[in-house]
Amino acid sequence: MNRIASLQSQFQRAILTLDDEFDDKILATKRVSAKRRIGIYADAYRLRLIECLRDSYSALNTMLGDDQFDRLCRSYIDTHTPHHYSVRWYGQTLAAYVVGTAPYCEHPYLAELATFEWKLMEAFDARDAAPVTIEDMAAIPPDQWPNLTFALHPSLQRLQLAWNVAAMRSATDEDRDPPAPQRGDRLVPWIIWRTQRRQFYRSLSADEARMLDQARSGANFATLCEGLCQSIGEADVALHAAGLLKQWITDGLIIRIVK
Amino acid sequence: MQKSAVKRLPFLGFGLGLRTSHYQSVLAELPANIDWFEILSENYLVAGGKPLYYLDAIREHYPMIMHGVSMSIGGSDPLNWDYLTQLKQLADRVQPAWFSDHLCWTGLDGSNIHDLLPLPYTEEAIAHVANRVRQVQDFMERPMLIENVSSYLTYKDSAMTEWEFLTGIAEHGDCHILLDINNIYVSAFNHEFDPHEYLHYIPVDRVGQFHLAGHTNCGDYIIDSHDHPVIDPVWELYAEAVRRFGPVSIMIERDDHIPPLNELLPELDRARSIAQPILKEVAA
Ligand SMILES: [Fe+2]
Repeated sequence: MNRIASLQSQFQRAILTLDDEFDDKILATKRVSAKRRIGIYADAYRLRLIECLRDSYSALNTMLGDDQFDRLCRSYIDTHTPHHYSVRWYGQTLAAYVVGTAPYCEHPYLAELATFEWKLMEAFDARDAAPVTIEDMAAIPPDQWPNLTFALHPSLQRLQLAWNVAAMRSATDEDRDPPAPQRGDRLVPWIIWRTQRRQFYRSLSADEARMLDQARSGANFATLCEGLCQSIGEADVALHAAGLLKQWITDGLIIRIVK
Repeated sequence: MQKSAVKRLPFLGFGLGLRTSHYQSVLAELPANIDWFEILSENYLVAGGKPLYYLDAIREHYPMIMHGVSMSIGGSDPLNWDYLTQLKQLADRVQPAWFSDHLCWTGLDGSNIHDLLPLPYTEEAIAHVANRVRQVQDFMERPMLIENVSSYLTYKDSAMTEWEFLTGIAEHGDCHILLDINNIYVSAFNHEFDPHEYLHYIPVDRVGQFHLAGHTNCGDYIIDSHDHPVIDPVWELYAEAVRRFGPVSIMIERDDHIPPLNELLPELDRARSIAQPILKEVAA
């Protein structure tokens, strides 16, 4: 290793592990010791990453409170060195960390909230795509309907939530007091997506979730209708499916109808 | 030291750092006293969504310069060609007159510390960084500027001043300099050197852009925090820089405690009112 690389290696280790082997490579000034000078960088490293995690996980911060969120971040930072050139990705594995780490894992809503907030991040800067319009849909001749398949917006995220984590996040976004954690009696399907400039999330009925999951995996309209038959009388199925489809188009979720 | 002739970069006027919280007011008001925007490149190395929407919309009205933080031009890992390829694609989109990053390293062994870490001021480091600057500049096919960072420590290995080091890299790497006036002030305090000596050593034609910003004084040292207005001694240093370097594109950086756009504009007007009489005087 050349001299620059070896200095950098020692400096990085001092920042990450706070060891003092690097101290004797650094000059002190009259006012500031070598150790304190290195400490400025070690502190700044942690503060910057905490700030980044706070941006990504604003509701998790609210629910934990600043002190406990800070402790969570510091222990995550101690075990996760950033690698991506953009700090935006740093929090990517926080939910997994929360699942596996006490005391956070003792409150399962925390991991679910972290997952929800990370999916918001993923939707935020996913690829752009122009949605189709109701007029596009109306222009398709009825005999082609059974074979239609649908491409969904690249920002679309699908998740199952047991807790009221979406309400925690919207309260945080709107500067209101968040609700107390509450577990529903079953898992509820949710989607997160965005149009060009706005982000949305909402829950789905069991029917809509099943139909959406099938549509995402490439099923055609006839198959989507069959899926709905389990809960709706056969006579109403096509109309119901068309209604849901229309809703998705209004939501900006469909970017292509393939004949 | 071998000195190659260098072409001065164009004067874009008085700019601001483009910040998310200002997107809407910029588009609504299209302020005429902002001549150009500097963007933080990494914020736009994304697939889509709001950042790129506003980037394109604002670019229609203002010239833009790309300023990055993750090139690690002084690093010991190989250059990150994946990053550079994306940076070049962004440059194709933004069409900046130049791009810049910092004279620093940001991590080793694939890590990114997300900080601007100083280098030892040695001939070995000049050769190392200048070689990488040439590779990047050739690849990007646009002028590259390297910026002096604020620093809080000095390596015992360092064998020259910061201004000799910066100049050495600009000349050997054949690139331009983004001179951050506040960083000179901050580092002069932290390392007990004379900021005027710094200014008067830097070769005039190499300087393509200035930065101005505020900082946090912690008593024993100053942190380059970009969370306050520019202070008077930094304005004075700026006036001296304008006198020495002439018409150089200038922008004000604010990265924390970001006020509404209309509260930043008076700072930009102050930069203008300091520079214009001096430029007139120098031209005469
Ligand atoms: Fe700067």
